[in-house]
Amino acid sequence: MSITSDIIRGHTEAIILSSLLEQDSYGYQINKDIMKKTNNAYELKEATLYSAFRRLEQAGCIRTYWGDETVGARRRYYAITEDGRKAYQGYKQEWQEAKEIIDKLLK
Amino acid sequence: MKEKIRQHFNEIFADAPRTRKALDLKQEMMQSAIDKYDDMVADGYSEEDAYQSVIASIGDVTELFPEVEEKNLFMLSEKDRKKKAMLTAVSAGLYIFAGAVFIFFGMISEIAHVPYELTGLGLVCALVICIPPTVMLVYAANMYPNYSKKEEQDMVERLKEIKYSSNKEKAARKTINSLIWTVALVLYFLISFETFDWHITWIIFLIAACVQQIVKLIFELKTEEKHL
Repeated sequence: MSITSDIIRGHTEAIILSSLLEQDSYGYQINKDIMKKTNNAYELKEATLYSAFRRLEQAGCIRTYWGDETVGARRRYYAITEDGRKAYQGYKQEWQEAKEIIDKLLK
Repeated sequence: MKEKIRQHFNEIFADAPRTRKALDLKQEMMQSAIDKYDDMVADGYSEEDAYQSVIASIGDVTELFPEVEEKNLFMLSEKDRKKKAMLTAVSAGLYIFAGAVFIFFGMISEIAHVPYELTGLGLVCALVICIPPTVMLVYAANMYPNYSKKEEQDMVERLKEIKYSSNKEKAARKTINSLIWTVALVLYFLISFETFDWHITWIIFLIAACVQQIVKLIFELKTEEKHL
């Protein structure tokens, strides 16, 4: 499990961007989506998630805004930017190539 | 149980920088953890299990503040660290020297049978020698790392920066204070032994307090000028 999660952790940014491609979201919601898509096989640690947010924001891949919840705590929402979409395409292509190579090598 | 979660966040964020950003992040993560806790309890997990699971899924928060490590652990630059070690070493040497001088004077007055008391003079000399190492130690103890201004832009941060940039000033001020008090002490003994007017010489300490206040005032005026 630990090796798996190490490999996946290297793609945290891409996973977040992919999730934000569908819709703007907040931290916990993104993590829930990830768990749902993986049938609870993978969950990001909060610290990993939020430090990835931070890096993405610094790189201009995402922007944030405060939600207008009328009940409960206000949430900070994350949205993907145009740069983020480009970065995601780059990530995805890299992953496809890497996957093909690894698949060929690990037969 | 939710209170316990909040408590836990307070603990793990204890070393986080005191910035608006860090505080926001803490609130955000705390909210996220509480949401998860609520969901798990709603799904039928026991409160204890939900709590454990939430805490376990937080992970290592130090990765959130890469700049913290630079500031912590007395993170002075290599040069400053050497300077600090040097100051401390020299101070220790001078203290020993002061002690030696005191003993030396005491021995002389015993062996040489000088007509007048030399121990008092020895004490004064020793105290005078003690001035520089005290000043150095106080200065060394107040060498703070510079506040890193990475990625902090808002008003609060600027104010903070101003505060931290006056670290040098603070060190200087403390140094001067210790100097004033040491000089006062030495003068007190010197004048008292000389005149034996013990009933009046304590006024020196009042004068020292006055001088200290004046110095403080001068510093404050200067700082104000700089920031206006």
